[in-house]
Parts: sequence; C-alpha cells; structure tokens
Amino acid sequence: MTSNGKPKVAFFDFACCEGCQLTVVDSLQTHLDLLEAVEIVQFREAISDRGEDYQIAFIEGSCTRQADEERLRKIRAQASVVVALGACAHTACVNALKNLHPLEDVRRWVYGDQAEWYDTYEARPISAVIEVDAIIPGCPIDREEFIRVVKALLLGKKPPLPDYPVCVECKLKENVCMFHIGKFCMGPVTRAGCGAICPTYGDGCEGCRGFIPAPNENAMKDVLADAGLTVEAIMARFTMFNTYLVSARKADGEERR
Amino acid sequence: MTTSIYTPEMARLVKVETLTALEKLFTIELPGGRSLGHSPGQFVMLSLLGIGEAPISITSSPSRSNGIFELCVRRVGDVTNALHNMQPGDMVGIRGPFGRGFPIEKMRGKDVLFAPGGLGLAPLRSLINQVLDERGSFGRVIILYGARRPQELLFRNELEEWIARPDVECLVTVDRGDETWTGNVGVITTLFPKITINPRNTVAVTCGPPIMYRFVLMEMLSKGIPETQIYLSLERRMKCGVGKCGHCQINHLYCCQDGPVFTYTQIKNVEEAL
Amino acid sequence: MKLMILDKSALAPMVNALRADYRVVGPQARGPQFAFDVITDPAQLRLDYNTTILPPKKVLQPQYERLLSFNRREYQVTPIIEATPTVLVGVHTCDLHAFLLLDQAFSREYPDAHYLERRRQTVIISLECLEPCDEYSFCRSMGTLTSDTGYDLHLTDLGTAYAVHVATETGRQILSRYATVREATEADVRQLNEVLSAKWPRFTYRLDFDAAELPALLGAAYDHPLWEELGERCLACGSCTNVCPTCYCFNVFDEVDMQLVAGERWRCWDSCQLDEFARVAGGENFRKARSARQRHRFMRKGKYLYEKFGELGCVGCGRCIRACVAKISILEGFNAIHQSA
Ligand SMILES: Cc1cc2nc3c(=O)[nH]c(=O)nc-3n(C[C@H](O)[C@H](O)[C@H](O)COP(=O)(O)OP(=O)(O)OC[C@H]3O[C@@H](n4cnc5c(N)ncnc54)[C@H](O)[C@@H]3O)c2cc1C
Ligand code: SF4
Ligand code: SF4
Ligand code: SF4
Ligand code: SF4
Ligand code: SF4
Ligand code: FES
Repeated sequence: MTSNGKPKVAFFDFACCEGCQLTVVDSLQTHLDLLEAVEIVQFREAISDRGEDYQIAFIEGSCTRQADEERLRKIRAQASVVVALGACAHTACVNALKNLHPLEDVRRWVYGDQAEWYDTYEARPISAVIEVDAIIPGCPIDREEFIRVVKALLLGKKPPLPDYPVCVECKLKENVCMFHIGKFCMGPVTRAGCGAICPTYGDGCEGCRGFIPAPNENAMKDVLADAGLTVEAIMARFTMFNTYLVSARKADGEERR
Repeated sequence: MTTSIYTPEMARLVKVETLTALEKLFTIELPGGRSLGHSPGQFVMLSLLGIGEAPISITSSPSRSNGIFELCVRRVGDVTNALHNMQPGDMVGIRGPFGRGFPIEKMRGKDVLFAPGGLGLAPLRSLINQVLDERGSFGRVIILYGARRPQELLFRNELEEWIARPDVECLVTVDRGDETWTGNVGVITTLFPKITINPRNTVAVTCGPPIMYRFVLMEMLSKGIPETQIYLSLERRMKCGVGKCGHCQINHLYCCQDGPVFTYTQIKNVEEAL
Repeated sequence: MKLMILDKSALAPMVNALRADYRVVGPQARGPQFAFDVITDPAQLRLDYNTTILPPKKVLQPQYERLLSFNRREYQVTPIIEATPTVLVGVHTCDLHAFLLLDQAFSREYPDAHYLERRRQTVIISLECLEPCDEYSFCRSMGTLTSDTGYDLHLTDLGTAYAVHVATETGRQILSRYATVREATEADVRQLNEVLSAKWPRFTYRLDFDAAELPALLGAAYDHPLWEELGERCLACGSCTNVCPTCYCFNVFDEVDMQLVAGERWRCWDSCQLDEFARVAGGENFRKARSARQRHRFMRKGKYLYEKFGELGCVGCGRCIRACVAKISILEGFNAIHQSA
C-alpha cells in the first residue's frame, strides 16, 4: 500500500498488440474515480515513471521466448496479485497459431533474414510460466469487466470470471441466434463476460475469451458441421483464439461428459 | 409494498472467537436484543453488503439465546473470508431463520445419538445443547465426533465438558493423530463398534461432508435404528433460502424449505440426496 | 363477462391512449423473429407475430433486476421494488398458462414482493392463436391452446376486428377509458364461434400420449438411457431454460461503486443446465454430468413442478427446441420415454 492507503498497480506488456492496455486507458478516461482508488506506478502506455513497489500486476501478452520467463518470475515475486490481461496473456490467443507450424518457418515468415536473432519458442499463456490469480479474458478486454475485476480485488473478493458460455448473455439480450440466420457461432463453448457483443452486432462469436471449463467440443463440432461447415473450417474456428487450449486439452485427454 | 423477503436485517457482531485455523465463532445480536426465534437445525442467510450472501447454520441453542445467537463459520470463499476479517462492533445482514430443523418433540423420552463429522458439529451443537439443557426429558445422550486432525476439532472446551459429564457418553476421534493426541485415531465409523444401543428407542442425528455421512448412515442402519428415526442435515448451494432460486434442489425436494434436515426415510430413494 | 368488438383501426388509437398512463409492452419484429418490448409507436406492435425469442415472462421477472440498495459505511439496506404500471399486449395462451405457474411459485410460502408487485401493476391483454406458431410448438397436447383465466382482456382476430373478451373489472375500465369498442352482436358471436371451431383442426396432437401421464412416466424413467444420449449432445449453454416461460431460477450478486461504499444487490436469470449451478464452495458439484442436468430439466417440466403446484411445468411453447443449437427436443424426449415405457 502507499502512504495514502491505495494499492499500487503496474502494467506490463509481452507479445501482443497492446490493444488491451489501450482499453484500460479508455476505462481510466471514463471511470475517473478508478484513479482515486488505486495508484498506478508503471504503465508504458500512459506514464513514463517506473515504480517497482507494486502489489497488483496486470500482465498483457503471451510468453513467446525464454527471456520472457525470467521477467515474468520477477513480476510474480514482487506482486501479491497477478492478473492476466486479455486473451494473449490468458490463452496465448492468436500468438499460439504459430504453434501449429514448425518454428523455423515461423521465424522466417516473421523476421525474414534476421530470424536467427530471435529466441522465439511456442507461444504460451502466462499461466504456463507463473501462477495467475485472476484473468480478464478477451481480445480486446471488455472495459466493464476490467472495472469489475478491479473492484473485486479492492473488496478482497475473488475476481469474477463467468464459467458459463456466451449463449447465456446472448439469450438474456434476446438476440436472434446466429445459427437461425445461416451464420456460425462459437458462443456455446466460449466463456461469457463480453455481453455477447459479437452476436449482438450480428457476427458469430469467434471464441476470443477462451473456452468454458468443460466445453462439449464434440457436440460443438457436430453443431457446426450440421450448419454446413467443413472439417477444416471447424478446426479453424476452434484454433483461432484457442490453439494453446485445444492442444493442452488434447494432451490431457480431458473430455468430460 | 416496501418489505421484501430478500432484505436482510442488520445485526451487530458482539464477539468473534477463533476456534481453529479455518473456523471462527461469531456471536450476533439482533436490533433491540430481539430473539432470532430459531429451532436447532435451521439456518440464516448471512449477508455482507457488497460481498454477497451465504447460508449458515445456527450453532447456538435456542435455550441459551438471551438475545444473541452464534454462527460457526469456516473460511472458504468471498463471504466467509470477509466475515473472518470483521471485528466486534461490525454489522452483518441476517435473513431467516429458514428451513426445517430437527423435530425435538419426537426425540423426547428417547436415547439420542449424535454423530457429526468436522464442521457438521456446528448445526448439531445447537441441538446437543438444547437436549443437555432439558437433560431430564431424554434418555441416553451419546455423541460420536470425528475430525480429520486434532487441530481441526471444534468447540474443544465443550467437548471436554461433554466427555466429563456422567450423563453424556462422548467419544472423539481424529483421522490422523499427532504427538499431542492421546485419543482415538481412525475415521468416525470406528467409534460405532464401541457403543451398544437400544436401536428401537434411539434417535440418531448426523451432519458432515457427503463422503462421511454416507458411511455413518450405513453404521446407523446396521445398528438397527429405524429409518424414520435417523436424521441428517444436508448442504446445497443456496441463493435465496426461501424456495425460489432453484439452486438447492435435490430432485423434487428443496433443501432450503423441505430441509436442510431430512429423515433417512424421506431421502433414501431420492437419487440426488446421497 | 362481456364480449366486445374492437375494430382493427381502433387498435393504434387505443395503444396511444394507453401510452399516456402506462408502459405498453407488446410483440415487435426483431430481425426475422419477434420479441416483446416497450411500444413507442403503435406501428411497432405486431399482433400477427408467431412467437417470441424470450417469453413475456421477462415483463414479470426481468432478466436483471435490483433487489435492494445498500450503503456499506452506514450499514443501511433499502429494498427496491421495480414496478411500473404496464399493459402487456398480445400474450399467447401458452404464455398465459406459464404466468399462472409463476404466480404460484412467487406467492407460495414466502411471497416475493418484487414479482407480485409487478404482477399487480400489469394489465394483461392476451391473444388467441388461430394457427400453430411454427413446427416446434405442441400447445394442444399440453392443454394450453386456449385459456379462460389469467387475463384482463382476451383478443380473437375476426379479420377486420378483434373480439374482446372482458374478464376482469380492470379490463372493463381499460376498454371504457382508452378504447372505442362496441358490444358484440349475435352475428359477431356466431363469427367468433366459427373462427374458434375452425382453429382446432389446424393444431395436431404431437405428444403420443395424454399429458396427464407425464409425471408418472417420468417417475419411472429416472434411469432411462435417454439422459446419457442427451448429455452427449448437450452443450450446457442454458438456452433451453433461458427461453422457457416457466423457468424462474435465479442467481444473486452485488455491485458496488468505485468507492466501495454504495451498491446494489441484483438478481438475474440462472439455469440448471450450467456447470456451476449446483456447485458449492468446497468444489463438490451435486449435478455435475450434463446428462443429470438434462434429466433435471425434463423432470422439472414434466414432474417436479406438477407435484409442487398441480400444473405441468411445460406449456408446449416449443421455445426450448427452437433455441437449442444441438437440436435437443423436449417433445421428442417425452415421446421417446413414452415409447419405451
Ligand atoms: C444449510 C446450510 C448450512 C450451512 N452451515 C454452515 C455453517 O454452519 N458454517 C459454515 O462455515 N458453512 C456452512 N455452510 C456452507 C456455507 O454456506 C458455504 O461455505 C458458503 O456459502 C461459502 O460462501 P463464500 O462466499 O464464502 O464462498 P464462495 O466460494 O465465494 O461461494 C460463492 C457462492 O457460492 C455459493 N456456495 C458456495 N458454497 C456453498 C455451500 N456449501 N452451500 C451453499 N452455497 C454455497 C454461495 O451462494 C456463495 O455466495 C452451510 C451451507 C448450507 C447450505
Ligand atoms: S448467437 Fe451464438 S451465442 Fe447467441 S445463442 Fe446463438 S449460438 Fe449462442
Ligand atoms: S462474442 Fe465471442 S468473439 Fe465476441 S467478444 Fe465475446 S467471446 Fe470474443
Ligand atoms: S439449449 Fe440445448 S445444448 Fe443448450 S443446454 Fe439446452 S439442451 Fe443443452
Ligand atoms: S420446456 Fe420448452 S416447450 Fe415446454 S414450456 Fe419450456 S420452453 Fe416451452
Ligand atoms: S405454442 Fe401454441 S399457444 Fe403458444 S404461441 Fe404457439 S401456437 Fe400459440
Ligand atoms: S435456496 Fe433458493 S430455492 Fe432453496
């Protein structure tokens, strides 16, 4: 705590587009009282100072190289609460798509001739490296959810993370189901919390918030196949944001009824 | 209309005692020292503003209420953690008492066998103390209590009193002992062979984690206690306490209204109960 | 009570007149489907709708609702009863039957002032279905294709006018204050009877047995292989219960302001199909398998609610079938159980 009793907060970024931090900047502008509740000591997107005595660390981005691990462990050692901010930190997001290709190819596509310089390895969520206390999923994050998590942390509550799928929020909003108008949707297996924003605006959910804890993957595949998707197209939907999760679940053989 | 079944009444914490590393005992006073008017086995919805609500059994006996009641609470999540951080003088919200408790009138004149496991002693303590306060109206009083480790035994002072009383047969066991423990070691079912009872005249009561009460019920039945004389208190997720939210359903039964206390007869064919 | 005639051209003026004193809620287009919503312009009212995505239950039990407000510093709690005088137009009879069940659920034992006050302030103008809403409904089998109770006014489409059955004093006053109507003539009554008798053959019995047998059938089907099969296909998405007019389960949560001082306690619809519904703090989940959760839904609709309230928990509206992306059908389920019994 600072002398004024406010918890000190720091933001860190790893491999990502930094879109989530921009959403945070946005939230700070619409929720000015947030700045009265916490003190931000490190935030590359917004301030130039760097304090190292933070209690709450928000980490954005995936771990994509050996060197990231060291940095993550240092943050973990300092912070009493570590929050994975956004899909890249939470699920490795689209970064993990490269896991599907041999690493050498990826280096060449991305870095061209300078490939040898970079010690990139399979992208992983930060929870694969350090213990994570809370998650704010999404690509990008939902600003209301960010505020809810901050409030929960300040209250000493476990930060809320819905275990139910996007369909719940979608139905409560009384949206027309995407499957009824010939579109495809990953809502039934995707973790809610975004307010079903994509179906609300007429697009199928792409699963950016990761899967619910016990997704019925087989049934979801059947539904998509029934709706007319090819096997390849189904796999593409499953892996777009969730390559790391899908591989991890396969490795665990985790298929619950 | 300005009243609602969901509005808690604010009540004052007057005492907080640490029982174990996980459990504390909270003494609560309603406004004006009004009595809660509960019967043993009932619960309240405990409300911490901004945090949430949790169903908690009333652990004090109505016979000792004096304008206060007690809750014995294990810290496991949001509400219970926040409660553990509170001090005497702080206020909590109370709704209730709710649910069906133990039918003490059906127990009068009978021998009573209590077999709580772990935190299951909390609801049973209310009944035990009421029985002890009307000791003359009951036959034998037998208490078999099991906890995982000696440090996890609740209400140790009272346990010692019960053990010391000549008119109470109280046996205590722990799953795993330690260097200070000289008593019984073993799960609670290992205490049953140590007692002989007159099953027809015995009423048996249990509460505890599912894995424990499944075995305890088997012991009680094998002792020959009639199914209608075996009572257990069940725990389910609860969001309203008044038969509306649906969370506590056990097949067609509502734990919050039809229970939390059930006879074995009531639930033996209810698939989701056991 | 009386039968009146409301010319269709008199409907828009009536809605406008009502809007001065009431919130008027009725079916409107939502994309290619329909939804009950507040009418701000009589042209929005689509009494020719087939069915809505969510049932009109949401008017009596909103998806999200405040129960109380609090101040954590002053330990102050104030109940919030959110009710507005409302005229709910265009409720089909299946949904009316569902209201009767909700009325019982919220008034028995511990009356729920939040629901009951909204119910008290809601005037119901229902509407007779003359054609099946779509291929999913089975209201005739469930005995909900008509109703003689549960409404203030009941409309039947006679082509250029509505026959209005006036069932309550409130209904009578609504007509006399806000509408231009005339008393039905003998010819009107004859036409109404013709329309009503013509409608029944359009609806088929889709349950292979008498709905009254449902509780007993389900009672014997606890270990039926159907549950496992449904568990394999079900996504546990909760849509089937969220669209059901007789589901009323809810969750409760608190919201606080940034200063952590003032806040509100909310309730929102919840679903027994969701993984966490019966999970407790220690991690034990009392209905962990999807098959057990599907069974619970079927049992509640066909048996448990009947045992509690004397009414079946399914009114045959077909919404759950329509909403299920996995194409799980409670109608087919009931029939499958009957077939193997
Ligand atoms: C009839 C009854 C009597 C009980 N008596 C006691 C008692 O005397 N002492 C005690 O320590 N505990 C008791 N419990 C358990 C206690 O209710 C839970 O430990 C408590 O709800 C956890 O809430 P939380 O917010 O701390 O935990 P969280 O994990 O944060 O819980 C989240 C939410 O889940 C629900 N929930 C979680 N676990 C349970 C549960 N076991 N039962 C019901 N709802 C749950 C609650 O609604 C809670 O708000 C009793 C439960 C029941 C049903
Ligand atoms: S649109 Fe998607 S999220 Fe919404 S109900 Fe349909 S499948 Fe579920
Ligand atoms: S609807 Fe799906 S893709 Fe869209 S924001 Fe929500 S989780 Fe992400
Ligand atoms: S709507 Fe279908 S898939 Fe979703 S929970 Fe209900 S039965 Fe299962
Ligand atoms: S169970 Fe299905 S068909 Fe029956 S009332 Fe509910 S939504 Fe309608
Ligand atoms: S289920 Fe029957 S009563 Fe209900 S809307 Fe459809 S046709 Fe009308
Ligand atoms: S706790 Fe809500 S119905 Fe029992």
